[in-house]
Amino acid sequence: MKDQWTDRLSEYLDGELGAAERAALEGHLATCAECGATLAELRRVVARAGALDDRPPTADLWPAIAEQIGVVSLPARRARRRIAFTVPQLAAASVALALASSATAWLLIRPGARAPVVEAPTPAPSAPATLATLATAAMYPDKRYAAQVADLERALERGRGQLDTTTVRVIEKNLRIINRAIREAQSALAADPANSYLNLHLAQEMRRKLELLRQAAALAGARS
Amino acid sequence: MLTTLTTLAALALQQTDTTVPVRSGARLEVNNFGGEIAVKTWSRSAVRVEANHSSRDRIQIVASDQSVHVKSEGGRHGPGTIDYNITVPTWMALNLSGVYTDIKVAGAQNEVTAETVQGEVTVLGGSGTVSLKSVQGSVTLEKAKGRIDLNSVNEEIKATEISGDISAETVNGDITLLQIESANTEANTVNGDITYDGTIKDAGRYRFSTHDGDLRISVPEKANVSVSVSTFNGDFNACFPVKLTGKTKHRFSFTIGSGSARLEVESFDGDIKICRPGQVTKDESHKDKDKEEE
Repeated sequence: MKDQWTDRLSEYLDGELGAAERAALEGHLATCAECGATLAELRRVVARAGALDDRPPTADLWPAIAEQIGVVSLPARRARRRIAFTVPQLAAASVALALASSATAWLLIRPGARAPVVEAPTPAPSAPATLATLATAAMYPDKRYAAQVADLERALERGRGQLDTTTVRVIEKNLRIINRAIREAQSALAADPANSYLNLHLAQEMRRKLELLRQAAALAGARS
Repeated sequence: MLTTLTTLAALALQQTDTTVPVRSGARLEVNNFGGEIAVKTWSRSAVRVEANHSSRDRIQIVASDQSVHVKSEGGRHGPGTIDYNITVPTWMALNLSGVYTDIKVAGAQNEVTAETVQGEVTVLGGSGTVSLKSVQGSVTLEKAKGRIDLNSVNEEIKATEISGDISAETVNGDITLLQIESANTEANTVNGDITYDGTIKDAGRYRFSTHDGDLRISVPEKANVSVSVSTFNGDFNACFPVKLTGKTKHRFSFTIGSGSARLEVESFDGDIKICRPGQVTKDESHKDKDKEEE
């Protein structure tokens, strides 16, 4: 359900509502479980953003990753971690954050890590890159998401010789299960694009796929 | 103090049995490649390591004030299969890891970290941070308290008589949480059912999500909770009357009591049932566990 307060939740989180509006919204939250649930989702995404480690890696791999996902200036993003998005944007942002953190983590842990080759650089946007641009870029994530997944899958393919065949089978089987969930969520979302549950569910399954790929790549790396 | 005790094997099949004293606060660390790590407790301030292994394997026990580290070397043949039976003080924190290894712990009263790739993890006890992971094996925890993190990929997760914050996640397996005392619980699976039978505390946060499976969640009669239900292709029913609000095609909510706790239940393709504690035990298999397609 979308009521008059739904679109104000991110302002509420950012502390941008006046005292009267804030009190009114808090009164509404006490009786509207739907808005409460949405607010909880927003808090999770914001917490996820806030949990990202700002320490620069020993080898700065971000520029290549950023270029792949269409973001240019990390310093600008780091300097301004203030968030004011709509629910679908936040859902998309959570995927983008998962993409960035998963890919970065994997790149850092894999043996002989080197900056990834950028196959098709995206033109740099003129506006400073913030989480907003990250979210906007992730609103249409398929191409870039697929590229990130493909990178991890290639890494897994390279390292699969280090893994037991049973383990490889199990990982592949579970990736198929997640792929099916992603396809079903995408199909449902195509019919109901404004559905916040479907947006968040799709984001969750996409994140889960990246996490499993990262876990598998780490296992392969640990055994090599 | 640093004592290194090394046992070199002389027989094809060999038994190692070594006991080392430990100081309060020391941690046990065990790395095993294949076989089993079984840990039980006693009242003595000592660690006893019994191991059955090939004569090619060399068991190393490295003891210091801070830790007792047990590992093996297989020489040019690589690591072999070793079954460890280790007895530790109840207060000892445990850090156990393996590859093709089953891990069993009984009676621990401190932190437990256990991680394996192909093998089951079964822990009775644990306090503080309890983190159990297996890629290809079930994860079972009983009678633990603290911050609980349970993770599998291809098997089920079971937790019983747990007190504390709980996070449970698998891809292809059920999650069953029974007799839970928690103000913060989250459980996610892709292809599996989720059962939660436990408290709903005021101001608590509870989230249960599956893609292809059923949810059975208990809500005590005197709970104060706002419940948000989402299902794309499933049914909802409750064992007690509820007044639905904010009802849309795939999402609705209802409030019990003051609604101070938040409970989110989501299943893309499964049924959601909310009942009283003791009424949520699994009564039927939802669907083929291995349902998958490319």
